Amino acid sequence: MNCADVEILLADYVDGTLRGDAASALEAHLAGCAACSELARDSAGAVAFMERASAVDAPAELVTRILFEVTAGPSHAIIKPSLVRRLFGRLFGGVLEPILQPRFAMGMAMTVLSFAMIGRFTHVRQLTPADLDPVKVWTAAEDRVVRWYNRGVKYYDSLKVVYEIQTRLKEWADEQPNSSQPQPAASPAGDTK
Amino acid sequence: MEADNQLVERCLGGEEAAWEDLVKVHTRRVYAICYRFTGSDHEAQDLTQDVFLRVFRSLKSFRAGEGSFSVWLSRLTRNLLIDHYRRSKLDRASSSIEEQLPMLEEKTASMGRPEGLLAGREASEFLQAALQKLSPDLRETVILRDLEEMEYREIAQVLNVPEGTVKSRLNRGRAELGRILHKHKGSL
Repeated sequence: MNCADVEILLADYVDGTLRGDAASALEAHLAGCAACSELARDSAGAVAFMERASAVDAPAELVTRILFEVTAGPSHAIIKPSLVRRLFGRLFGGVLEPILQPRFAMGMAMTVLSFAMIGRFTHVRQLTPADLDPVKVWTAAEDRVVRWYNRGVKYYDSLKVVYEIQTRLKEWADEQPNSSQPQPAASPAGDTK
Repeated sequence: MEADNQLVERCLGGEEAAWEDLVKVHTRRVYAICYRFTGSDHEAQDLTQDVFLRVFRSLKSFRAGEGSFSVWLSRLTRNLLIDHYRRSKLDRASSSIEEQLPMLEEKTASMGRPEGLLAGREASEFLQAALQKLSPDLRETVILRDLEEMEYREIAQVLNVPEGTVKSRLNRGRAELGRILHKHKGSL
């Protein structure tokens, strides 16, 4: 056995788990090698000292602090995902979570209530179930869109700038045929005479 | 090991009580590793909290087939400690450790304790100061083996080195520690 072998086996020897021939060979080497013998002595001394040292305990307030993180801290959402996240998965749950909140539902309810009250006090006609007929809703929406479009076109046409541009374009268009007509060839002066 | 795996499964199932159990069972170990490595209660507490925040976020990445939860947790702790060590390397005053050992030595002498009987809390304080004199490689190996009593195979997994390297580092770490403790009389 040489010093390199000792470096591999010494840890087990100091732990007390090296037995048999290997232990005897190592002990024989240690008896004849001062450097390895010192290494073994220092190692064994350190191990014995560490065994006498008391174990480290975590402070109670540290455990409380980490437990608070579990039950009420920012990590709570990771530890116990909300019902929305569990139902819709991580991706969709993340998108839907802010919407499907009690405060959001409350906000929506208040909005509907406000509109209902405004409608009642301003004498807007109350909705009836017949108003919710899809055909009727669609026709009304289409009619409104067409009316908005026509109004938009009319507004656009009546703009002064548009009117001027259109007039100028019309003038150019009128002038164009005249300028593009070939000029009649000038007859020689001699011919008229 | 089996109990840990069941605990992890319960945690992943969203059981809040299981997370609490996980914290209660493993805080001491994580704190002890951090405290022994950094030598500071304050830093060890912060690091332990960081380790658990990371556990909360990344427990899903733990695979029971690839090793025990204990090894996984130790690796997480060790990586965080090394990051912390690299970050705070410049801030540390090496002289503080040099001053600490003689102070402890005087304290021990004034208590009239005979040589060779230093034990318990005093030995723990002395050990703490001596550990800080080891290089991070040797220190972490000694902590995991001699103070946390992990198997060589587990330490090799945590440190991501062969078992032979673990044993070699352990020998050097122990011997170095033995020399430091021997130099300051009254400890060995």
